[in-house]
Amino acid sequence: MAKAFYAVGFWIRETGQALDRLGCRLQGNYFFHEQISRHRTLMNIFDKAPHVHKEAFVAPSASLIGDVQVGQGSSIWYGCVLRGDANNVQVGSGTNIQDNSVVHVAKSNLTGKVFPTIIGDNVTVGHSAVLQGCTVEDEAFVGMGATLLDGVIVEKHGMVAAGALVRQNTRIPCGEVWGGNPAKFLRKLTDEEIAFIAESAANYSNLAKAHAVENAKPLEKIDFEKVLRKKVAHQDEEDDSMLSGTRVVPPELAPPSSTPAQ
Amino acid sequence: MAAASLSRLSRRASAAAAPSLRRILSSTATAPAAPSSSPPPVAAAAAGADRVRWDYRGQRQLVPLGQWLPKVAVDAYVAPDAVLAGQVTVHDGASVWSGSVLRGDLNKITLGFCANVQERSVLHAAWSASTGLPAETLVDRYVTVGAYCLLRSCTIEPECIIGQHSILMEGSLVETNSVLEAGSVLAPGRRIPTGELWAGNPARFVRKLTNEEIMEIPKLAVAINDLMQSHFSEFLPYSNAYLEVEKLKKSFSIPL
Repeated sequence: MAKAFYAVGFWIRETGQALDRLGCRLQGNYFFHEQISRHRTLMNIFDKAPHVHKEAFVAPSASLIGDVQVGQGSSIWYGCVLRGDANNVQVGSGTNIQDNSVVHVAKSNLTGKVFPTIIGDNVTVGHSAVLQGCTVEDEAFVGMGATLLDGVIVEKHGMVAAGALVRQNTRIPCGEVWGGNPAKFLRKLTDEEIAFIAESAANYSNLAKAHAVENAKPLEKIDFEKVLRKKVAHQDEEDDSMLSGTRVVPPELAPPSSTPAQ
Repeated sequence: MAAASLSRLSRRASAAAAPSLRRILSSTATAPAAPSSSPPPVAAAAAGADRVRWDYRGQRQLVPLGQWLPKVAVDAYVAPDAVLAGQVTVHDGASVWSGSVLRGDLNKITLGFCANVQERSVLHAAWSASTGLPAETLVDRYVTVGAYCLLRSCTIEPECIIGQHSILMEGSLVETNSVLEAGSVLAPGRRIPTGELWAGNPARFVRKLTNEEIMEIPKLAVAINDLMQSHFSEFLPYSNAYLEVEKLKKSFSIPL
């Protein structure tokens, strides 16, 4: 019986594929054969292999290439590229490098010195930041879309404002905010803001745990949850908050630890 | 003209259809012979159950967090390598292009009708905003958000253009019919009043928009919507990468 089903399935698939090819031909020679993605989250270059602590979150679409070290509780978010091919990249513990950021090292530069990229502990690197051959010390903050060029040093509690471009060999002293293009000193950080940097890093590492759990799920579990979601789909968010206030959510779909981050 | 193109089309169709039809017939004819020659093991058939549903790209496009599932309208286009996580709503006709990340893990992200978020943009929302406005990120209808933009807990009202590589920080508000130039940085809690053009780092008022320019804003969004349709039609509900995987499995002699 199973064999018969298999055979029927085989016919249907063959026909489907033939129809697919026919459709492609009818569309002209523009048909496209999809290859499997060769993307690798962790990739070594010859003898340089990335080392990621097992409690760090690395999004599946991020890529860590070459000599990259990621410490405990750090998070590398979606679409990031950490490329340690010419020199090494070190990321401390509790650090977050947010979506679409690029951290790399220069092969050569005008001064002839090649710096490794070192990012300390509890650092927040905002979305789409570009860090090239620079040093970011503990509890520093690099804003969204900032660019740090070779030899930049951001000292402890230093802050680079969003959209800033920090030129080569600049040193951002402790507790100062730099911004603009090229980056200039803007103001001193207040004590609350310094406390907030550490807090934001801690919140982010909590948030990363929820994402890590979700992204590590195997296919069967994802499918099972899809079915569960369909079951509870009729309980709309708006109406039951009006009526009963409580909502029956199966334990599998319980929300992640909702800690306010930033 | 029309007749000529029709005839060309039909000629191509008939030329193309003939071998394909033959192939259909031949493949269906040979199909029953194939499984009988090599009977599949039962356990292997069960293992192969994931062949269509599995996403071979490694990164899931929609990442649910807790009970929050990203909602995408049927005729919205979300590129296969964009990532939508948590409370994200993409309304009809909206488009999210390759490499974008919409991360609604702390607050809601909404993309209105005919809005578009272009390549490698990041939309995120903070837990709370300092301005007292809701901290969710709202991109309303007919808004064009250029490539490499960063939007964080900001509100963009209908019919605006956000230029490429611009950064909108927490609590910023862009009112109807205004334009933010490429590469500008809008500081936290800043408001762009209606019908104005702003630019720079940090963004400053440049000039008022003329009536003609304001008329152009929704047209741009509609043009990108048209472009999106052509991209959208290229994608089938399921990718065909599983064929490649089956080939690989066969070449490594892993049972299917």
